[in-house]
Amino acid sequence: MKILKMPKQNLDLFVSVLPAFGEVYAPVKRGKGFAFDKPSLWSDVQMKYTRTILPPKKLMLPPRETTIAFDPVEGFQDQLAMASKPMVLFGVHPYDIYGLNILDRVFAQSKYPDPYYIARRKNTAIIGMDFEPDDKHFAGSMNSDFVDSGFDLFLSDIGDDYLVLVGTSRGDDIVVMSGCLMQTPGEADFAAYKRRSKDRRASYKTKLEMEDLPEIMEMEYHSKAWEDIGNRCLSCGSCSMACPTCYCFDINDEVELGSRKGQRIRSWDSCLFKTHALVAGGENFREERSSRIKFRYYHKQRGFVAEYGRPSCIGCGRCVEVCPAEINIISVIETIRGERDGIASSAPKSV
Amino acid sequence: MKPKIGIYGLSGCWGEQINILNCEDELLDIVGAVDIVDFLGGSSVNDTESRLAIAFVEGSVANAREEKELQHIRNRSDLLVACGSCACFGGVGAMDAQVSRPELIKQVYGNNGPAKSWDIGPHKPLSEFVKVDLAIPGCPMESKAFVKAVSSLLNGDVPLLPTYPVCLECKMKEYDCLLVSRGLPCAGPVTVAGCGARCPGYNVACIGCHGPVDEANMGSIEKIFEQKELPMDQIKLKLRTFAAPVLDKERE
Ligand code: SF4
Ligand code: SF4
Ligand code: SF4
Ligand code: SF4
Repeated sequence: MKILKMPKQNLDLFVSVLPAFGEVYAPVKRGKGFAFDKPSLWSDVQMKYTRTILPPKKLMLPPRETTIAFDPVEGFQDQLAMASKPMVLFGVHPYDIYGLNILDRVFAQSKYPDPYYIARRKNTAIIGMDFEPDDKHFAGSMNSDFVDSGFDLFLSDIGDDYLVLVGTSRGDDIVVMSGCLMQTPGEADFAAYKRRSKDRRASYKTKLEMEDLPEIMEMEYHSKAWEDIGNRCLSCGSCSMACPTCYCFDINDEVELGSRKGQRIRSWDSCLFKTHALVAGGENFREERSSRIKFRYYHKQRGFVAEYGRPSCIGCGRCVEVCPAEINIISVIETIRGERDGIASSAPKSV
Repeated sequence: MKPKIGIYGLSGCWGEQINILNCEDELLDIVGAVDIVDFLGGSSVNDTESRLAIAFVEGSVANAREEKELQHIRNRSDLLVACGSCACFGGVGAMDAQVSRPELIKQVYGNNGPAKSWDIGPHKPLSEFVKVDLAIPGCPMESKAFVKAVSSLLNGDVPLLPTYPVCLECKMKEYDCLLVSRGLPCAGPVTVAGCGARCPGYNVACIGCHGPVDEANMGSIEKIFEQKELPMDQIKLKLRTFAAPVLDKERE
């Protein structure tokens, strides 16, 4: 892996080469929060954002997409061309890159590779950026506050400069195109990086104890806590929409008026919705609200471990931020571990 | 021969009929696919007797005359679609079902109001009287929901309407949550989607015009609003504007 450095004052010039690699998305303000969007001015881009409302998932697995068009005469036509538009995603925090790496396991490296996801992921250059954790980030506990793959370039703030990790040959192309903006780093730069890395690791206010969690969850499957959480949950689905590694989707065929032509649409779904486990004949495997929210936790923290060797949660804190009912993953897990009493909704102990 | 359809309004504001006429981009496709034979809101010449493939009915039932009209529509139609929150839940007219009509007249017009009550009772949804094959809520029903219903029904399918809350559509558009971020009394989590989160898109809290989502967790949202010191009475009144009979039933 090649390591370079770029003085901060070169950033404006650096970003001006990015459009050559695709449509640029970067963190901008959205209400009181942030969102990856096409910035109209580079000065709108937020270099110090906490987290975006929706994760980068929204660009790889869009909330709603047409997968095929069908016509009784012409047959089926996939819409892969739509998914092959080059993009550049600038300013992605490491945990979100980790989230994409997890989606890769499910959509690209699994038994059933998804051509739409793969096309978007391949055609998107990722430029990562480090961050300062707030009280909702717990990436430090989830092994996702540092990534060594899944990006083309990664910028780490070391004071007056960025240390630039080059992750791929496309990243190298960007470096080549940016000409003399990059320099060779020296001992002092590495020392600054190491100091910052240590400080950041120490700065997490929120921690989650992951050791033996799958086992404890197995023991607590019938815990009354799930019922309490279920009584509070609104089944609004916000947590799963905002989660970088929630990937359930629904498929529907929509016909055009007056013909039998139409489109097959894929759109986001959530295990929190009552219809998620509803099958033909009217049977519903997770009719109770509490069984649905419990399922979300088990899939993230236990089911995924069994299948892929680690939890799918990457500690971004989005589900904590968006939940109107203030259901907090840290408090839920502390409750399941028996480290706090009662309803798992108020602030976690570790804050 | 094209399938015949009819479009009707009982007690309501004609909002659905206007939204049907507002399907300007699709109107030619609609009349290309179906024969609209009975639609007082769109034509003064109507066929009020022949057999219909689909009847679209907006508004609620407020008296015996409307009940009879609805029965007549049902008897001549293969499928009957309730359009809008009044037809689906009773809507605005059902808000104060428990207050007597003379009393309501007095509340609105004072003592100088009309001397005798009109021929109206508490407004009720269509399903209280006839079999409803499809209910499309909304105040008014979305134009696109109507077009989707026509195309699906003509293909022999029942259109899949949203059963999830407004929050899903709101998050899909990545709006910053009004309830969480600004403490506004948004009813999105207990209201069924379909509008594309129209109000949050304008920074206005949802007031539940599409009616409650199945299994709406009213107890929890009341607690959340109380914690945020939001005026619960006013919020309840807003929700009752569209679907009071359903909310009352859930309370029982
Ligand atoms: S479960 Fe919550 S904290 Fe974990 S990745 Fe998903 S949104 Fe982030
Ligand atoms: S965001 Fe909160 S209330 Fe909404 S479904 Fe998730 S846990 Fe339940
Ligand atoms: S603004 Fe309203 S509809 Fe949107 S996510 Fe928040 S509560 Fe749900
Ligand atoms: S946001 Fe709520 S009030 Fe506004 S149109 Fe949608 S359902 Fe109706």
